Amino acid sequence: MNCDDVRPQLTSYLDGELEDDRGSAVRGHLRECDACRAASDDEAALRDGLRALPSLDVPSTLWAGVQRQLAEAEVADAHTPRWRRVARRVVARWAAAFKPQHWMTPRFALASSAVAVIVVVWAWRYTHRDVGQPVDVLATIARATFVAPSHAPNGANRANDPKDVATEIAAVPKQMTDDYAHATQELVALAQASRAQWPDDRKQVFDAKLAELQRAVDGATEDRPRQKAYRALIRYLQRVTTRDEVAFANVGGL
Amino acid sequence: MEMLYHQFKRRVFGMAHRIVGPNDAEEVAQEVFVRVFRGLAAFRGDSALSTWIYRLTVNASLSHLARRGRRQEVGDDTLADVPAAPQVSRDPALASRIERALVELPPGYRAILVLHDVEGLSHEECAAILECRVGTCKSQLHKARARMRELLGPIGVDRS
Repeated sequence: MNCDDVRPQLTSYLDGELEDDRGSAVRGHLRECDACRAASDDEAALRDGLRALPSLDVPSTLWAGVQRQLAEAEVADAHTPRWRRVARRVVARWAAAFKPQHWMTPRFALASSAVAVIVVVWAWRYTHRDVGQPVDVLATIARATFVAPSHAPNGANRANDPKDVATEIAAVPKQMTDDYAHATQELVALAQASRAQWPDDRKQVFDAKLAELQRAVDGATEDRPRQKAYRALIRYLQRVTTRDEVAFANVGGL
Repeated sequence: MEMLYHQFKRRVFGMAHRIVGPNDAEEVAQEVFVRVFRGLAAFRGDSALSTWIYRLTVNASLSHLARRGRRQEVGDDTLADVPAAPQVSRDPALASRIERALVELPPGYRAILVLHDVEGLSHEECAAILECRVGTCKSQLHKARARMRELLGPIGVDRS
């Protein structure tokens, strides 16, 4: 610990506010350093001198003066319109309510601004995220109803037949793939309807991407990879068709 | 009302005296008590009554200084009225020197020195009165004492 470390701590040291280890270190330095000890002694003498300043006698006229001013203020109140007194009181309360607090430091302002920016960016991204095509619940239910009979047992005892159950379970992936293919067909039809209104460059981009994703579907031999390829294709088609709807809404369609 | 006045008159007058000087201390103290009595009904109790009264005192004193201007405040008349201190043991003239140096301090430093060192209030009370953080209060006190030591020069304590 050197003089530059000790000098700023002298006030706290003399007021007994330093923790034990820091106080001990300051005390140790003061034993060795004449200049700092002189500064410490001066500050202690100053502090003692300030504390020993005599208490001042209050002038005997002070109370009379206070009473006189209070009386004058009350007389002035009597001549002030009520609306002005009320307005004065409201302004005073507002001033007190909106008075800057000591915690409103530049650091606090900076931190709260950063938080506000983060919240706004997050909210913007959340509201503008790609939500895809809204799920057509009725169509899904209809499809499920249509599909169900192929899985349903034909006889009362059939569900208990382990062979039939295994067959049904084995048929599920194939059924899922077929469902994906069906959904894809619907979405392609939708996208093609939108495509008719697109400029040529956008059409080319769409066609290339559609062909690429379709190739991925056709190239998959197993059910699971094919379903994955279908999901990618469906997501793309949902984005394409949704984007048109959003653009329509932004123009003022809603 | 009069009881409240008698309870706080010494400190209010003492603070005002040492912040604005002897000539205007009575005027400022009067202003403080008038504000106290007229504002007592609206006092919300979000701080101690003493803290509120001392805050009014400091604010009234600093506003008074701002209105009056500093040049006039440190005029010869003011310094001539500074009372001597009979009770300081190590340096009989020290109290007088300290009072004179106090007048030379910037008003903000004077306020924190008067509150903490002269009136003996804690850092927490000073921070509440000055409406600042305790850390700010401590650092202001350190700077105020350093400035006082510069103004006073060596205080001449016996270091044997």
